[in-house]
Amino acid sequence: MLEVHNLTVAYGGVVALDDVSFSVPDGSITTVLGANGAGKTTLVRAISGLAKARHGSVLLGGSELLGRAPEAIARLGVGHVPEGHGIIGELTVDENLRLGGLWRRERGEQRTAIDEAYELFPPLLTRRRLQASHLSGGERQMLSIGRALVGRPVALLLDEPSLGLASNLLALIMRRLKALVTSRALTVLLIEQNARSALSVADQAVVLSLGQVAMIERADRLAGDDALRHAYLGF
Amino acid sequence: MHLLVIYTVDGVVNGMVYAAVALALVMIWRATRVVNYAQGAMAMFTTYIALVAIQHGATYWLAFVIALLAGFVIGAVTERVLVRPVESRPPLNAVILTLGVLIVLEAVAPMLFGGQTQSFPVPVSNVDIVVGSTDLNVSPFALFTVGAVIVAMLVLFVVFQRTTLGLRMRAAAFNPEIARILGIRVGRMLTLGWGLAALLGALAGLLAAPATLLYPNNMDEVLVLGFTGAVIGGLDNPVGAVIGALAVGLALSYVSGYIGSDVAPLGGLVILIAVLMVRPQGLFTLGRQRQV
Repeated sequence: MLEVHNLTVAYGGVVALDDVSFSVPDGSITTVLGANGAGKTTLVRAISGLAKARHGSVLLGGSELLGRAPEAIARLGVGHVPEGHGIIGELTVDENLRLGGLWRRERGEQRTAIDEAYELFPPLLTRRRLQASHLSGGERQMLSIGRALVGRPVALLLDEPSLGLASNLLALIMRRLKALVTSRALTVLLIEQNARSALSVADQAVVLSLGQVAMIERADRLAGDDALRHAYLGF
Repeated sequence: MHLLVIYTVDGVVNGMVYAAVALALVMIWRATRVVNYAQGAMAMFTTYIALVAIQHGATYWLAFVIALLAGFVIGAVTERVLVRPVESRPPLNAVILTLGVLIVLEAVAPMLFGGQTQSFPVPVSNVDIVVGSTDLNVSPFALFTVGAVIVAMLVLFVVFQRTTLGLRMRAAAFNPEIARILGIRVGRMLTLGWGLAALLGALAGLLAAPATLLYPNNMDEVLVLGFTGAVIGGLDNPVGAVIGALAVGLALSYVSGYIGSDVAPLGGLVILIAVLMVRPQGLFTLGRQRQV
């Protein structure tokens, strides 16, 4: 379980996240929705250690993540697919994937995890020796998710994976993700602007507005209730 | 024709020393986006350490190893203690800092080792090899110089391209933030990178000293020429830097041979200024800039 308690993050004097609390049960997807500037990216960056929290607590399986370095948080089982995918264009596809599991000691385990990533996203296999900068947008997103999975994370943070993706490709990636959540009891935090696609896979939705939690609701209920959806998401 | 051969051999041998310095500068530039102006002074310092070891009875080869290790330590400590704290500040801070290290090392060296010029030994003869009655225009030490730098480059190439440690170091250099969320200890990788670069610089110092002689400023000109080579090749491009440094070595050898040795250092500066004016990104970068 990923628990966020009273998380507050400020840049200089500007409060980006204000007393945010929610939790993501094991083997489920929680989507975080909200307009630009609502604090969605700040939330994932605070969880993975890239943004300093002013106060609050983030627990993964009971251990505190706040105050640790990003590399330590990754080693505790947090996989982060950053905004704009964050693949390293100068390295090959295979090197990018290997990076995801390098901190693990067991070589055999690493290789299996990389093979699984290729199985999950077959287009990557034919391009494995290619420099990652030559990939298309969809392939980059696959590589970024595949790379995070190679680290065998307990919790996976996805920051707007839909950005720049064709809708059929996005649907494919979401289906793969959903299958993983069930088979591995993966805990997923899915940041999205594309609320429609996020609600179709998520179990729970957290709506952020100007850095505060506006609503926490079951995803199917939010998707099905026109008045609620219109009030909070504007569609 | 005969002179051309002599000048070319000289140019390649000197060029390999500049190439070692150029490659060290490129390694640090790629890892931390800092031009390490103290690279030459660090190499001078480690060569003095080797000389002291020899004066205390060490063999050349033991002193050689000691100097390389000292280089690694000086580089790693500089990154960890001095560069790390200014990492998040404007890049100029780190540049001024390496200039400070340069000044301190060149001021401390005469206090510790004496300011007078000293000769530095060669491990093998530096007299031209003669086969029958033909002078081959190349000495065993010249061959050793070229060979040592090539071996060092090959080792670094294998480490960076073929090992997981190298993959980690490249990831840390290309995108530190992404490397960190993948669990890579970026700080350690940067320290290691500075250490390896200074080790390579120490090698250049050992190879240059027999010719330049050893004094607190003996590596200044080598640093400028190595930097010129690196700029010609593009500071981001290791292969380009080596080619650039060899080109500088050849150009200076021809200038000093055909025009006069006093104008040679001037020739290096002219090349540097010309490249910076015409193509500041380097000749081998193909205009492809880093993308995010």
